[in-house]
Amino acid sequence: MDLAFTPEEQAFREQIRAWVRDNLPKDISDKVRNSIHLTRDDLQRWAKILGQKGWHGWAWPKQFGGPGWNAIQKHLFEEETALAGAPRVIPFGPVMVAPVIMAFGTPEQQKRFLPGIASGEVWWSQGYSEPGSGSDLASLKTKAERRGDKYIVNGQKTWTTLGQYGDWIFCLVRTSNEGKPQTGISFLLIDMKSPGITVRPIITMEGEREVNEVWFDNVEVPADQLIGEENKGWTYAKHLLAHERTNIADVNRAKRELERLKRVAEAEGVYGDGRFRDQIALLEVDVVALEMMVLRVLSAEKSGKQSLDVAGLLKIRGSEIQQRYTELMMLAAGPAAVPLDREAIAAGWQPGELDGAFVAPLASTYFNMRKTTIYGGSNEVQRNIVAQTVLGS
Amino acid sequence: MDFDFTDDQEMLRDTVRRWVERGYDFERRRAIVKAGGFSREAWQEIADLGICGLQVPEAQGGLGLGPVDAMVVLEELGRGLVLEPYAAVALVATSVLKAGHEAAAAPRLQHIAQGKEIVVLAHEERHSRYRLAHVETTAHGSGHAWRLSGRKIAVPAGGAANAFIVPARIGGDVDDATGVGLFLVSPGQPGVEVHPYPTQDGASGADLVLKEAGAIELIAPGAAFAALELAADTGIAALCAEAVGAMDRLVAITVEYMNTRKQFGVAIASFQALRHRIADVKMQLELARSMSYYASLKLGEEPAARRRALAQAKVQLGTSMRFVGQQCIQLHGGIGVTDEYAASHYFKRLTVIEMTFGDTLFQLGEVSRRMQTTAGVFA
Repeated sequence: MDLAFTPEEQAFREQIRAWVRDNLPKDISDKVRNSIHLTRDDLQRWAKILGQKGWHGWAWPKQFGGPGWNAIQKHLFEEETALAGAPRVIPFGPVMVAPVIMAFGTPEQQKRFLPGIASGEVWWSQGYSEPGSGSDLASLKTKAERRGDKYIVNGQKTWTTLGQYGDWIFCLVRTSNEGKPQTGISFLLIDMKSPGITVRPIITMEGEREVNEVWFDNVEVPADQLIGEENKGWTYAKHLLAHERTNIADVNRAKRELERLKRVAEAEGVYGDGRFRDQIALLEVDVVALEMMVLRVLSAEKSGKQSLDVAGLLKIRGSEIQQRYTELMMLAAGPAAVPLDREAIAAGWQPGELDGAFVAPLASTYFNMRKTTIYGGSNEVQRNIVAQTVLGS
Repeated sequence: MDFDFTDDQEMLRDTVRRWVERGYDFERRRAIVKAGGFSREAWQEIADLGICGLQVPEAQGGLGLGPVDAMVVLEELGRGLVLEPYAAVALVATSVLKAGHEAAAAPRLQHIAQGKEIVVLAHEERHSRYRLAHVETTAHGSGHAWRLSGRKIAVPAGGAANAFIVPARIGGDVDDATGVGLFLVSPGQPGVEVHPYPTQDGASGADLVLKEAGAIELIAPGAAFAALELAADTGIAALCAEAVGAMDRLVAITVEYMNTRKQFGVAIASFQALRHRIADVKMQLELARSMSYYASLKLGEEPAARRRALAQAKVQLGTSMRFVGQQCIQLHGGIGVTDEYAASHYFKRLTVIEMTFGDTLFQLGEVSRRMQTTAGVFA
């Protein structure tokens, strides 16, 4: 047992760190460090910079043009980019749909779709949830009917993150009503410029357009955009979930934000207040414990000796911690977090400088982060999964 | 970065586990509790496993092994709620002795390794409340002739000890770390009274009352406090591992109960309120296990980093132990609160562990005071 990374791993970390230092645009990292809204252009610029280096698909094997890193190297890359203030890579393309295309797509599909994801040029969205299908995803109703060499898609997807930017969307659609709900689902890749697709904004409580409704009205989808076999889509989607490893805990971002929380608390004069400081200390313990749990998973992956089935725990804990640091940052700002930032500033309010930016987005971020315990399988669903594993019944 | 155990460590684990499972069942433990919470025979059996000298240097007949080996042993002893003071002797006292004057320490270390002697640290006082520097016990003298006066409380297996390691104040005010020396005191001499009593976890503790008691200096002030802090942190890492073993077993007992106990015609494991509770229990167990690893792996760091890490670990373990203990009792319902059933005994041991070497609030204070601008495992 050893906590230290090997000299080779350290050298790898240094190499990543140097590259990020030289290539991450400062205007983008400034925004990330201060929770300022990132535009499509900001996100795309960073995706393409990574793409040029061959790192947009940083977890990809070499045969598909990825760097072929092991679990530790992937973690070090994620850690170094997060700590440097890089935006989180939008996962739908490189992290979510690409592994499915690699595992179940035809060679033609791989040739057609993977290069655009690898380069960061093509923006992918995810079409899973529906108004009537949240935690009970398998009950989804969006219908795809086979007509000749096409599918005709009708229905509605929702909570589509940044769907307004999407070039393509991967969807779970119903192709059969026979048998169990899971057995009639197919996995379709759909061009979002297809006639009949309408993207409508959903404004969330902090006032941002981060999610959307996507409507399908007789949308024609060429049949060669079906992944694998018809009615096997649920299996492919589960494969995708299994690929969301330690990433889901987002512990590297938690470390960065905890450091920021300390700066905010210091600037606002509450870092020396025992009651407030102890809350930060508790969070620090939580973050270290989460990081240790992540490292245990990585070590198990590396050695292949012991399997660690803690993905559900990582999701629950990681999301709770994300909510907690945004909550404490808002509380650190105190009354200065109350004005609705953009409107208040437009009306002449002067929030004062804090850590290179103003304090008010802290409340917006707090509101925004309520999503983390809901999405990706709500924490209550995660507890069901954990309980199933623990109880074996 | 690697969390695998070596083959030797797996063998060590098997050895201890086999003894606990075959030689230290719940009925035997109950009999030992009744007889005062310490068994000479059981101690001899532990010695026969060859692990008393686990961290004693090879020059003194020990194995010279490290913190991860100790963690492995303690997880297994925790699983069986072993009452005998293995960590107190083989890890905590040994840690101090390794830093002590050789003439005084070497024979003690040899005897510990042979399983012949029980040497324990007697550091807690009625008013110290986990602060290691708060020492009211006084020492005066010089060279080989020292006299100690004061009272130490909750000394592990005090009634069975062959020698005590006692922090005593040579100078400075009551919280001054630099005025504390470490001394060796033998029982059975004038001015030394040992008052044994049972503790809440079924083990044996004692008050040690010193009235101008003769003592040998083990470590002079200056170096003494550093050695005392290292010993306490060694104790924390050991307690973390013991707690993980105990919680692991308690959760297993609880899961088995949930799957067999029927109410309303079905196993209670089918109720979602209880399923979510056991998921939360599993969370606290895995966080605790992660931080127990952290504690043992950070023991070798320089003192400030070590102290910060061990305080963090004890905060996590304290939180986990209280949650897991309380909820596993609750999940059992009525049977959980009885003396007859094992769950309550795990709960009591976990509670006492929290109150040893600094409780959760005390260690949270340490974490809070020692926070840096950076955060994380490698900060």
